[in-house]
Parts: sequence; C-alpha cells; structure tokens
Amino acid sequence: MMLARVADSLYWIGRYVERAEHMCRLSDVMLNATLDRSEAATQVARIALTAVGDPDVAKAKTPYDAALALALDKDDDGSILSSISRARENARQVRDQITTETWERLNLIYLRMIDADAVRAFNESSQAFLHDTIADLHLFKGAGDATMSHGEGWSFLLLGVYLERAQLIASLLEVVFGEGRRRRPIGDHFALTSVLRMGCALEPYLRAYTAEMQPRLILQFLMLDEDFPRSIRFCAQEIEAHLSAIIRHAGLAGSVGPDRLAGRLRARMQYADMDEIDAQGASAFLKTVLDECSAIHRSLYDTFVAYPLEDRLPA
Amino acid sequence: MSVRRDEPAPDVETPAAGPYDEMLTPDDKVRPHYAALDARLSTLTADELAERQRTQERFFLLQGITFTVYGAESSTERIIPTDILPRIIPATEWARVEAGLTQRLQALNMFLADIYSEQQILMDGVVPRELVLKAPSFRREMQNLYVPHKAYANVCGSDLIRQPNGEFAVLEDNLRVPSGVSYMLANREASKRVFPGTFRGAGVRSIDRYPDLLLATLKSMAADWRPNPQVVVLTPGVYNSAYYEHAYLARLMGVPLVEGRDLVVHDNMVYMRTTTGLRRIDVIYRRVDDDFIDPLTFRRDSALGAAGLFNAYRAGNVVICNAPGTGVADDKAVYAYVPDIIRYYLGEDAILPNIETYLCREPAQLSHVLANLDKLVVKAVGASGGYGMLVGPHSTKAQQAEFADALRADPSNYIAQPTIQLSTAPCLIDHQVDPRHVDLRPFILSGDKIVVTPGALTRVALKKGSLVVNSSQGGGSKDTWVLADGKGDKA
Repeated sequence: MMLARVADSLYWIGRYVERAEHMCRLSDVMLNATLDRSEAATQVARIALTAVGDPDVAKAKTPYDAALALALDKDDDGSILSSISRARENARQVRDQITTETWERLNLIYLRMIDADAVRAFNESSQAFLHDTIADLHLFKGAGDATMSHGEGWSFLLLGVYLERAQLIASLLEVVFGEGRRRRPIGDHFALTSVLRMGCALEPYLRAYTAEMQPRLILQFLMLDEDFPRSIRFCAQEIEAHLSAIIRHAGLAGSVGPDRLAGRLRARMQYADMDEIDAQGASAFLKTVLDECSAIHRSLYDTFVAYPLEDRLPA
Repeated sequence: MSVRRDEPAPDVETPAAGPYDEMLTPDDKVRPHYAALDARLSTLTADELAERQRTQERFFLLQGITFTVYGAESSTERIIPTDILPRIIPATEWARVEAGLTQRLQALNMFLADIYSEQQILMDGVVPRELVLKAPSFRREMQNLYVPHKAYANVCGSDLIRQPNGEFAVLEDNLRVPSGVSYMLANREASKRVFPGTFRGAGVRSIDRYPDLLLATLKSMAADWRPNPQVVVLTPGVYNSAYYEHAYLARLMGVPLVEGRDLVVHDNMVYMRTTTGLRRIDVIYRRVDDDFIDPLTFRRDSALGAAGLFNAYRAGNVVICNAPGTGVADDKAVYAYVPDIIRYYLGEDAILPNIETYLCREPAQLSHVLANLDKLVVKAVGASGGYGMLVGPHSTKAQQAEFADALRADPSNYIAQPTIQLSTAPCLIDHQVDPRHVDLRPFILSGDKIVVTPGALTRVALKKGSLVVNSSQGGGSKDTWVLADGKGDKA
C-alpha cells in the first residue's frame, strides 16, 4: 500500500534519472567525437542532438556549446540540470519513502550541478564532469538497490527507469536507422561505434559480435538482446516483471490493464524476427514500440494514480 | 515528578548586572557541567574547530536539512546555521524544567477542555470571558467536542529563557503546530560526530525515542475500537519552510506523509488515495494551521486541507492532532493568566514563572505601559513572529507616539513586557569561542500521558549582542545536552 501521489513521484524519479544519464552519455560521446575526426564528428553530433530532441541541427557545428547548454542550461526543460532538479524535487516530495543513503547520492549530484562553479568545472574538463555525473547516477541506483525495500515503491521507480530507457533507446535507433530521416546510410565505422557508445553498448556488443560493425547487428543487439540491460527487449522484460509485482501488491491480479500491454510488448520483442523487421522497415517497428510504451504509461496512470474515485469508494 | 512546588528554586544567583552565562560563573569560573567540554576545547586549534564546523554544515546540506528562501527571481535552499558547541543543562535544573513543563501543559489542556465545554473558569472570573471568546484563535466549532484524554495540544514546543538570576522562565507556549524538533534531532546526530569522546563521557540523556513516543502519543488518541490505527502526517507540501521536518518525522515514525490532495472525505470518513484504492485514516498529525485544514469549516480558499475533514472529526471518525482551537491557550494575552490557570485547575503554584506581562486592557496597567513605552516591549496579541511589535529601547519617538495612539484606540489588543535578557552560551564565531544569546525550546508530548523529551532545541542569536533567535532573522541553533542524574551537578 502506498499513496498514489508517492507512487507517481517515485516513477518520475526513475524517469528523470534515466533521462539525465542518457543525455550525459550522448553529450559525452558527442564531445569525444569532436576530438577524433572532424568529418564523422558532425554526423555524430547531429545524431546526438536529434536523439535528445533538439531540432536545431545547426548546433552540430558547435558541439561544445551545444553540450554545455544541454548539461547546465537552467531555462531549458530538456537539459540534464533540469532532469536532475526534477528528479530531486520529486525525491524531496517523497523523502519519507527513500532511504537517506539513496537521497544523499541524488542530492550530491544536484548540489554539484547548481554550484556556482559548475560551469567552470564543465569548462575545465567536460569529460570528467559528465563522467562523474554518470558514475554518481549509477551510485544512486546502486544505493537504492542496496538499501531500499524492493517492494511496491521500488517497482514504481524501476518502472520509470525502464520505460524511459526503452523510449530513449527506441528514439535513438529511430534517428540512426529509421528510413524517414536518414540522409545517407550510416556505414562509417567510427559513427557506428559512437552509436553503440551512446547506448552504453560498445563493450557488450564487441563480446557478442566482435569488432565487426554491422548496422543490422547493432540494431538487433540494441533492440532484441535478451541479456543486455539497455536493449529494448530487456527493458520490456523488466517493465512486465515490475508491473506484475505491483499488481501482486495491489491485489488486482486477473484484471487487464497495463500488464496486458506490457506482456504484449515483451512478447513482441521476444519473438521478433530480424528478417521481418528488415522487410517492413525498422521505423515502423520502432514506432509500434514507442506507441506501446506510451500506452503502458497512460494505463499505469489510469490504474494506479488517477483512477476515478467512484470505483473505489466503500459501499 | 521529582520537584515539588514547595521546594525552593535551586541555584538562584544574586542577579548580576549582565546576562546569565551558561558556561561561566560571574567570576569567570567554568561551571562544573561545562568542565569536560571546556577541557576538550582547549586542546583544539582554531583550524580544527573550523574544520568541525564545516563537517557539520556539510552534513546538514547533504541531508537536505534546509529551508527555502524565496527571492525576487529564484528561490534557494539554505541550511539553518548550526553551531557545533553544545549547550549543557545539568540534571537537577532539567528536573525542574521537566516538572514545570508537565504541570503547565496539564493545566493548559484542562483549560482548553473547560473553555470548549462548561467554561467554568470564565464563570468564576479567573480569566476574562471576552478575552477568550473574542480571540481569533478561539474556535467555537470545537464546542462540546470529545477529545480523548482531554489532550488538546498533543505536541507542544514552549519557548523558555534563562533570566539573569539563573532561573528558567516561560516566554511563550506554542500549542498550534510547533516546529523545530527535527533540528533538535539533527543537531544531536551532528554533535555525536563532532565531539564523540566528550559526548560519551558526559552522560547525555538520549532523545532518540522522540519519533516512537510521538507515534505512541498519536496512536493513544485513536478511538479504542480501531485496532492498529492508521496514523498520517499532513503537510502543506514541499514548498512549506518546515517541509523537511514533516518528511523527517513521517519517515522516522514509518507513517505516510500526506498532502491535502491525497485525502478524500466520504460519509464522514477520511481516506487517502493509495495505489490500491482508498484507505481509511484514523489519526492525522497535521502540520497545517487551523485555518487551512478544511475549506468547508474554516478558510474557504484553502487547498491545503480536505473538504469535510472537520465534520469527520466531529463525528469521531478521525482525530486531528493538535486539536483545532488550541491557539487560544497560547494567545499572548491569555499567557498572562497561565499562573492563575495552573492554580485554578491544579491548586499549585507555577513551577516555571512567566515573564512579567502588562495587560493593556487593564486601565492601570495601560497607563504604566504608556508612561514607559521607551523601556518596554509592546506586542499585538494576535500577531506572531515579531510582527506588530515595538521594542521600546530601540524605537524612535515617532514610533512610540504611533504605538501610544494604537494602544489608546484598542488597548485590549496589546500586551507589554520588560525587555528580556536572554542567557548567553559559548558559540563558535569566526573560529573563536564567543558568547551569544540563546533560548530553549523543549518539546512536550501529551496523549494518554505527558512526556517531556530530555533535550531541546537551543536557538542562538548569532549576531553579537542580538536577542533575536528566529531563523528568519539571523538565528541559528545548537544541540542541547541534558545530563543524566549525578552527572555535572554541583558538588
């Protein structure tokens, strides 16, 4: 049993934390690319900026400024700082539900990002800044895992994490491999490794498929791998597992709602066939995934958070 | 109760010219209960002290023990300044404080039970009728409403000061929604880290049980036919300056922290919206002012409470703690009558004295006040937090004239007190140990019984010479060590 508002806040902490981590990684990869090679750099920067939803492609020419703004712009709702602030604001609202160890990690990241010296620290070493932020976000999740009860609240938090992750990875793949937006096929080895880095997937990919960079294998790995924690399939498995845990807690078993949607998404990923996806186009498949994620989100709200009171009043 | 009213007050010193100092006697000797701390301090360099101060501030910041300051453009969170040097109170002195606070809250609860039912004390003319009935904090909605154990003020935070003669006196009773207890607990956490050795050796009484005693107090207010009563803490929300405390208490009690929007009143029952539907609530520890708890009964524009909450309370289906309408007993004018109230209900003299108070509603006292406006502190009865106040010695002739007019126009709205002298305690100021003025806010719980937590929030006026301890005006806080029997008492 937990307050609906609290479940909502925990869910959004998960989403914002995941979003912040993803954006840190995209910025980091983008800035790294500019160090190495200039031709591919613009392409990587364009991918990163499009994937975070920035329509202004001209910024790809000045990736450093774009990364700084993405990290620390207070007024931009999409910045990493905004995500961290919102995650912390939500955490503050449910401070009684989060262990002190977990809260401290998140508060530390927040305090560093709003510090007067934050911009200077970023300028001195953007890589260290982003790297530290990602590492601290991992510590946040780790502290939560190690100290919080793995009950209903924890499931809501992770539901937020995995739904957000599935959507972020699907959006990234759509930008890179979708038919609609692609100007020319991305075949460049450097650009492809950068895409894997954006998904934090380079090393696991190499172990699975060696250093042979094939777009089709990358797509397959990030969408359908069973064990890699950032593949959409893995996310779908987690979403389904945490939803059924929540439903078990709520004593709502048997009803159809978010669990049916989650089960369908998991099955879609589990039994997907790469040849079929090739035939119908990755875009169409990814669009279905994104639509189903949104449907799970809405259904979650209708069932647990913003349910109509009339149904729940005692007789 | 270990102290009785017929015992003399212990250790009353001949009034010195200056304020009482907590650590030093007038001839600059260290009082015995401060000896261990003094010895420890002499082994620490200024840098080491500063380092400890930084560690403590970082602890508060990291824990998020902050309050929000609203600026023109953006709001920022700040920590309340904390001082690392504990304020120490020996066992015998504390026994007297504890007995005095227990007696006082017992009488005030009886007073509230009386004025909200038979009003015997008003009929007997001990407290003027219109003073009570016309007070804005008097809630006639509470008339004849059953309150378990007659415990109206379940959580009380009284402000005490130590007078120049060394005796504690009550400056103010806070019976509405007193705050600060989280700072008491956080300061303790911090001072255990800063002076672990001295702390261990001193024999400090533990305050760790406050959360579970609070929970037991709240549960004792629930109807006895409800086994396992559901207790919640009701907060105005994350933008309230005391939000940290609300979340902290909910977390340590292990009960939900709810906001008005989480509550639903149906059929005179109060429910909260959970992920699994509605769940009935039995006891609400509300940290929302009377005015805001129910828009149907009190302020109609309030969104902080729940519509219908008060009727559910009247129906006996939920308990609101503290009860609405307790504010009438900590009203500044009623304050002057508290010694009489204690005598009326308990037949005892007040163990803890009041500060001398002039009621401007009495013509003789009014003329005394008007003649001494330059020496007295004049306060508007309804106001709090330092508003509507004239501090005589620091006022201009024009301000005095303005107040004189106001006093003549509406005398019953004002009281006056002599400018009080707070005691001083050693504080760490710019890496040096220097005395600053302090007060004392202990916390008293009352449900089926009255419990005084052996500790307190000591508030500090960090500016040299200042007597203002409010955190909104440059005040800070420090830990308060109450020593166990036989520790630190004078031989």
